[in-house]
Amino acid sequence: MGAADVVREGAGKAFLLCNEAIVRGALEADVKVVSAYPGSPTTEILDTFSEVSPKFDFKMEISANEKVALETCGGASMVGLRTMTSMKSVGMNVASDSFFSLSYTGVKGGMVVVMADDPHAHSSQTEQDGRSFGPNAYVPMLEPSNPTEAKRMVKAAYALSEKYGVPVLMRTTTRVSHQSGIVDLEPLDRKPFQKLPWTHPPGRFVTVAEAARTFKHALLERTKRIQEEFEASDLNTVTDTGSDFGIITSGAGYNYAAEACRILGIKPSILKLGTTYPLPNKLIAGFIKKLKTVIIVEELQPYLELHVTAIAKDANPSVRIYGKWTGHFSEALEYNPNIVADGIAKVLGTRPPVDYGAVLAKAAELKAGLMERPPTFCPGCPHRATLHALQEATRGTKHILATDIGCYSMSFLKPLEYGDSLLSMGACMGVAAGLQYAAQEKVIAMVGDSTFWHATMPGLVNAIHHNDDLTLIILDNEVTAMTGQQPDPGRDYNAGGQPAKPLVLEKVIEAMGISDITIVDPYQVKAAVVPIKQALSRKGPNVIISRRACALYADRNKRKRGETIGTNKVEKEVCKRPYTCIRGFYCPAISVDDDDRKAFITKELCDRCDVCAKLCPFGSIRPRQEGG
Amino acid sequence: MPEKEFSIYLSGVGGQGLVLLSNIIGSACAAAGIRAITGEQHGLSQRSGSINVHLRIGPEVISPLIPVGGADAILSLDSLEALRYVEYLRPGGVVLMNDRIQHPTIETAAHTKDKVAKYMSVEDVKERLTKVTDKIAVIDAMKLAAEAGTSLTENVVMLGALSTLEAFPVPEDALKRSIEENVPKKAVEVNLKAFDLGKKAAHDLLCNIVKCR
Repeated sequence: MGAADVVREGAGKAFLLCNEAIVRGALEADVKVVSAYPGSPTTEILDTFSEVSPKFDFKMEISANEKVALETCGGASMVGLRTMTSMKSVGMNVASDSFFSLSYTGVKGGMVVVMADDPHAHSSQTEQDGRSFGPNAYVPMLEPSNPTEAKRMVKAAYALSEKYGVPVLMRTTTRVSHQSGIVDLEPLDRKPFQKLPWTHPPGRFVTVAEAARTFKHALLERTKRIQEEFEASDLNTVTDTGSDFGIITSGAGYNYAAEACRILGIKPSILKLGTTYPLPNKLIAGFIKKLKTVIIVEELQPYLELHVTAIAKDANPSVRIYGKWTGHFSEALEYNPNIVADGIAKVLGTRPPVDYGAVLAKAAELKAGLMERPPTFCPGCPHRATLHALQEATRGTKHILATDIGCYSMSFLKPLEYGDSLLSMGACMGVAAGLQYAAQEKVIAMVGDSTFWHATMPGLVNAIHHNDDLTLIILDNEVTAMTGQQPDPGRDYNAGGQPAKPLVLEKVIEAMGISDITIVDPYQVKAAVVPIKQALSRKGPNVIISRRACALYADRNKRKRGETIGTNKVEKEVCKRPYTCIRGFYCPAISVDDDDRKAFITKELCDRCDVCAKLCPFGSIRPRQEGG
Repeated sequence: MPEKEFSIYLSGVGGQGLVLLSNIIGSACAAAGIRAITGEQHGLSQRSGSINVHLRIGPEVISPLIPVGGADAILSLDSLEALRYVEYLRPGGVVLMNDRIQHPTIETAAHTKDKVAKYMSVEDVKERLTKVTDKIAVIDAMKLAAEAGTSLTENVVMLGALSTLEAFPVPEDALKRSIEENVPKKAVEVNLKAFDLGKKAAHDLLCNIVKCR
């Protein structure tokens, strides 16, 4: 499992997460430069590279954002090295400006861009379908269904990238990225890292005006040749059962479709597409020629359905095509085996052996009164304290809170239900600028340190330059917490623990032109209220920095240093049940004793941040003594 | 040896070591030449929220997600999280659940308003689950984990219990070797002890209702 198998020199079998298999594939392909910004569901690619990097000589960085990460790979691939970057769907939006241009200029060394969409928006702000980036940028796109295919496709992608001088997009989705399976490892045969000479004529990677027009003609030709190659590629597979009913699918859709066929006991012909841009039109035409009925199984947008429908116009106008347009499948949310089995059964006029609706209805009945357990701030999370102090400081003050992407996004959930807008990384600043133009209320923008470095700085430049009346509160917890506490530009180390130059938030902001900077410690939850209140009362733009390390990160460091993490307990005889530690607080470590209705702290969960202890009006929360 | 199919739904609360548990089983399968795949949850959902891993063993399984009504067993590190995914259990499937509940913060908040409300208990959960299966074993994994040496081994206690099932197609020695390879070196001994304690507990709590090895 994990990094130990990823670094294994020789061949063999290993149980790997798809994201780990992608890393193994890149290492087998002798990748030399890796740069990425974390984002679920791709984070484990970055984390695995980072963990194994001390054992190899590839260059790696955790970049400030996805655009920088992609450009870093682009630059290294221009020179001639093999590179990889990975990003979540919405990260591609950030990187896409240069992604389009790199398709025009091309690259020399193999460049693979892994992009993972998130159907169901498990950890994303939208259900964006990134498959449009392939055709829109004329970048070849591969889609694996499982870890074995992912590893194989990474290697195929490097070969393709170098053969045609173009970056290759590998598109996955959450249920592919976060699928583990048994993968065949091939030997690692790595050459020593070596800088290469720049061999290109001037202007080789410049695309604008006439250069862009020349590149465009060339990339159309390139795409045609790649399409010809894909027509015969073994990354696409046809299972011809002789049936006049067929399924066309790819990625996660294939997994569910194949399972649904097992469930329904049917054996349709299946075309599984691994190359989803450019599509192998002739292969698709040949496949549907023999069919009376074809079902398209794909999550999100009807991308394959659109193309199959267009191809069928000439190839087989009488074939009946079922998918989203016929209402058998939805463009919303992710699929699973039973959704796909139900959809296929509906087309065929049969029923699955299990009445899924009835099972779900019965389950709902059994679960009556079972409380939801949504993600929430961890015990010890400094955000809980900052938000408490911020709400105290703004009590009675009408204001609008433009928040941003990070753990603190969860402030919009219960119990706080606090926050008025959340669009995308760094958007709090631009939105706040608009809010202060239009709204009568005080405007507050809220962002974490990692998101500040990622995409908030241009918005702050804008707000300073235009003298916007707003307050930016930066929750500085030292790391990119939500994705697993990766170091950000504020830290003195980067991927694999390599030394890095730390940037100091207040110095950067001061240099940008703001001198009104207030720094508070959220763990001093009561003492932080007045400085926050005063800062908010002054004319903006000004900045509040609430600084305290992510509790998970701090605990990990404490354990490394051999320090124990203390816990608190409630002194029952002192507790008068004001529930200050519960209402508006929602710490997973605190519950109510069913018998005496007093607060109770679970020893195994408490982090001893002492924030609840400071808030308790009776002082009933105290350090737990040994064995207490 | 013809491989049998076995799908198990693992659930718990973020931070309980569910992904490590599935990795131990998956690596054991890789070493024993048994096919296994998982559908896991990483990211936002981990933050003290409900989490799950779909684990599927067998030569023909393709979907990383178990179909509704398709799990041979639910193994849960928190009783509430066994009930939360009950739709995945096939009728008469096995439920192995920890005798422990981390009360959801939303439920706790409701308790500050309603002075008589009781938390949903392990007994409540068991009572409800009996409507879909009579094969329910409740194991005090926290107690056994502490007995093994650290409360952090609850997940491996539950694995020890699972390993006794005749229908669970992963050999015990492969599981133990996988524990040795997947937990930190200094924690190997306590984890192997936790495994054995879980196994022993299952003999009393599980093997009287389900066919064991």
